Amino acid sequence: MKVVIFSTCVVDMMFPNVGKAMVEVLERFGCETFMPMQQICCGQPTYNSGYVKSTKHVMHNEVDALLSVDADYVVGPAGSCVNMLKELPAHLKGEPAYQAKAQAIADKTYEFSQFVYRVLGIENAGAELDAVATYHRSCHMTRLLGESTSPFALLDHVKGLTMVPLPHIENCCGFGGMFSMKEPEISRQMVDEKVNDVISTNASVLISCDPACLMNIGGRCNRRGESITIMHLAEVLNHDVDISRVTYVDAQESKGVLI
Amino acid sequence: MKTGSMIRSSDHDFLTRVKESEEDTFAQKAVAKAQDAQWIKREGARRELGNWEDWRKLGEQIRQHTVRYLPDYLEEFSDNVESNGGHVFFAQTDIEARDFITNLAREKQVKHVVKSKSMVTTEIGIDEALLEIPGMELLETDLAEFILQQDDWDQPTHLVFPALHKNRDQVREVFMEKLGYEGDNDPQHLARFARKVMRKRFLENEMSITGCNFAVADNGMINLDTNEGNADLCMAIPKIQVVCMGMERIVPGMREAETIDNMLARSAVGQKITTYCTFTSRQVDGESDGPEEFYVVIIDNGRSNALGTDFEPILQCIRCASCLNVCPVYRHIGGHGYGSIYPGPVGSILSPVLQGNYDDFAELPYACSLCTACTSTCPVKIPLHKLLLKHREIEMDDIHQSKLIDDVVMRVVGLGTGHSSLFRTALGLDHLAMAPLARKGPEAAKNLYSDDKHVEWMPFVFGGWTKVRDLPDPPAHSKNFRSWFKTHKPADVDPKIAKHTAQREQEIQAERKA
Amino acid sequence: MTDREVFLNNIAEKARRPRHQLKDNPLVPVNDLPETTLSGKTQDELLEIAKANSTAVNVNLQVTTKVDLPAVLDDFIRDKITNNEDDPYQANDHNHLLLPTSELYADFGLESWRDGLTDPAPTFWKPGAGRTTNITTAEHAGAAIAFADYLLAESCSITTATTPGQGRAFHFLPVHYLAIVRKSRILPRSRQAMDRYDKAIKAGELKTSNINIITGPSNTGDIEMVLVVGVHGPLDMTYLVVSDM
Repeated sequence: MKVVIFSTCVVDMMFPNVGKAMVEVLERFGCETFMPMQQICCGQPTYNSGYVKSTKHVMHNEVDALLSVDADYVVGPAGSCVNMLKELPAHLKGEPAYQAKAQAIADKTYEFSQFVYRVLGIENAGAELDAVATYHRSCHMTRLLGESTSPFALLDHVKGLTMVPLPHIENCCGFGGMFSMKEPEISRQMVDEKVNDVISTNASVLISCDPACLMNIGGRCNRRGESITIMHLAEVLNHDVDISRVTYVDAQESKGVLI
Repeated sequence: MKTGSMIRSSDHDFLTRVKESEEDTFAQKAVAKAQDAQWIKREGARRELGNWEDWRKLGEQIRQHTVRYLPDYLEEFSDNVESNGGHVFFAQTDIEARDFITNLAREKQVKHVVKSKSMVTTEIGIDEALLEIPGMELLETDLAEFILQQDDWDQPTHLVFPALHKNRDQVREVFMEKLGYEGDNDPQHLARFARKVMRKRFLENEMSITGCNFAVADNGMINLDTNEGNADLCMAIPKIQVVCMGMERIVPGMREAETIDNMLARSAVGQKITTYCTFTSRQVDGESDGPEEFYVVIIDNGRSNALGTDFEPILQCIRCASCLNVCPVYRHIGGHGYGSIYPGPVGSILSPVLQGNYDDFAELPYACSLCTACTSTCPVKIPLHKLLLKHREIEMDDIHQSKLIDDVVMRVVGLGTGHSSLFRTALGLDHLAMAPLARKGPEAAKNLYSDDKHVEWMPFVFGGWTKVRDLPDPPAHSKNFRSWFKTHKPADVDPKIAKHTAQREQEIQAERKA
Repeated sequence: MTDREVFLNNIAEKARRPRHQLKDNPLVPVNDLPETTLSGKTQDELLEIAKANSTAVNVNLQVTTKVDLPAVLDDFIRDKITNNEDDPYQANDHNHLLLPTSELYADFGLESWRDGLTDPAPTFWKPGAGRTTNITTAEHAGAAIAFADYLLAESCSITTATTPGQGRAFHFLPVHYLAIVRKSRILPRSRQAMDRYDKAIKAGELKTSNINIITGPSNTGDIEMVLVVGVHGPLDMTYLVVSDM
């Protein structure tokens, strides 16, 4: 399987470990990965701030970059950014050529956990992490991309890992892209409630599939001096792997899981 | 008074309001508690009904269809009200509606008016206008509105629970001070006391003003949903009833009203149907109570600004307030923070539309983290977060309503994220540029900060980030993801795994062909 | 005021859609969930559903037979008025019994029961008695016994259309309230009731200004979201199903 890595600007700028872990997991399961270097950003920071016109060329650039390699799939480590790729055809309405290209991308794009679970059909990725952890569900991944199963299914099979439910799991962490910078007073109250909920679980690790949410919650934990380890799901699935533990989704028993 | 001026509920600026809301810890806790309780009730009621997504499609269709053929339905409705012996008045502005009702009260020499909860009457400022009539006594009869009125017309902060921000002690104090209440702070005792006070007043009133959940086009009735039954007393006892309705609050027939009533109750309060669901019109021959004179005031007041634009779906709204009940921003800034009588996601969209500009409500579309909880809960499928984005687009792209420096910064972000050579340069330089700002750990949040370094202060709009939380110090160029990718070598794939992946690939190909 | 035509034309212009297109584009519902939800149940099953839902809406749902009906009503009157002297509302002269004027007494075999009532002697909502008289009578009612049109299983609601003999305030002013309904008139949901009222109104069979769907006693959560039962309307409600009718 040929997979184009949709690295996202946040991972490019801030979180090399997340990108590395994702690539290593995909390659472990037989994917050939490509990283088009002209890619930058899906366009959310400016688009969601109202600069729709100024975002057109950002979207054009990303579309051209991700199509520059003839691959079967595009996979990204951020539910929100992946959803933006899915929305690009709608945002590029009125530009038929780009809209068609964007549609071609949208049709083959997956968020990391859903690609592993639903496309590769992996249930146990062979990882081990001896910890008590909780999971932050990102809003865009859950409600827009509609993916709320894959991460939990995969985490359930990590050896040594105990998952504790996060109270108010449906609530936003207060990131919201530029919202976190433009409305710091509101965003602070939201992320504080999220940090409090995380602490209330007594988990030592916070896991998510959206690095930006983790940057927000983790950054607030750090400012408040709350001790916690922050991990992207890819880092968990890449932790102490023993491939003899690998198991697959049973297509018969788990109807509707595989694409 | 200027048209649309009653929509504003505060003279304080946005940041002040946010701060005030945070300081009101009771109100903030009350909202969070209400949201959590409603989450359980609402989702439970929807689950019990079953097929919720299909119900939403039906709700959306009914409301979209009605808005699409609004002039036809309003025409049909007004014809039917007249043939039932009632009267319909059309008001393009709040001032017209206000003048009509106050003139009617003067003409009929009305001195006692009872009201049942209605946002549109707040929107047109009818209370203040009526109270200018010498000797006029006005009574809000919804318990929450009654409390707000007794508290010198405090502003509502929620569409369904207007007095959510008040606790039992505050209510008790108001009742003691204004009404001579002598009991304790038990909500049951407070409510029973209010019942007694209001019952007496109900019996002496001559005119009622009610809202309208839905007007029924094909028989000229209006449909009202309440739990207290106050609206029904308002519609039984006085000889004159004035119904105020936003012009979009209409459905084709009783069947559609019934469908929406069911969805409204489940979405608003987690009930199957509100305690009282009433269809009503002018008294018919032989009946001894109910209004002999029945007036319906159909109000535009800026609603038509939405028609024919991207904002048209906001007119689908059935005022269930479930978007408020799931909104994390509303959770923290409450109704007061929005500075509009219409708070929450729906209010952030509707308030500028009703006013036709962004003069008073420029910040509201930005008071949103785009978490989209509102869009997913809306029973009539209004794409709320997309409409908020649309406001932002108009504010930034069309009218450049931004603080100058932030605007330039955002345009630079747009430039930087759109040109790969610029971005690559930035990727190479960000570590160097931020190096002077970076602070060395030890970090409480582990595995987040490369080289154990974080940034505590940033310039421009980015300062909003570091005001609240630390930022990772960007990795040096040689350590970033791209540099690693260029040099990394894929490990050998286990043959069994490779076989499975190849098999999956074949399955998917086969599926696609089929 | 704005002229109706000016108002409606303004809407049409702003929407950029001509008026009077509805005739060719009637609403065709995307699904029939309002009809099919809870459909196909027997009257016995519907009664069980109504019972199961009664507690959630603070309704006292009782079932009786036509022959036992007078005795059950006597019990209700004793509970709520005769033996209920401690009720604070009685002190305020809210101690009358309110009954409708209706031909349904005969159907339910209640004529002689009605005519024999003495403690307390009943007061009636009387056609032609006028607004003030009927409202004052209802205001003094410690308890009212009403005839309901339908019972809705899903929500445990009764429905009633206003008649000259059973006015609007009849259901709202009394302190305690009981509604009688036949088992054959149990419907699955509000949809089936609306269908019947809609048809009857359009056919000219039903002349009423007001239809109430009533689901338990008046209540509010307006103070700290604490449920308080009995705000404006009756403090409690009994629905009495007559099983052999």
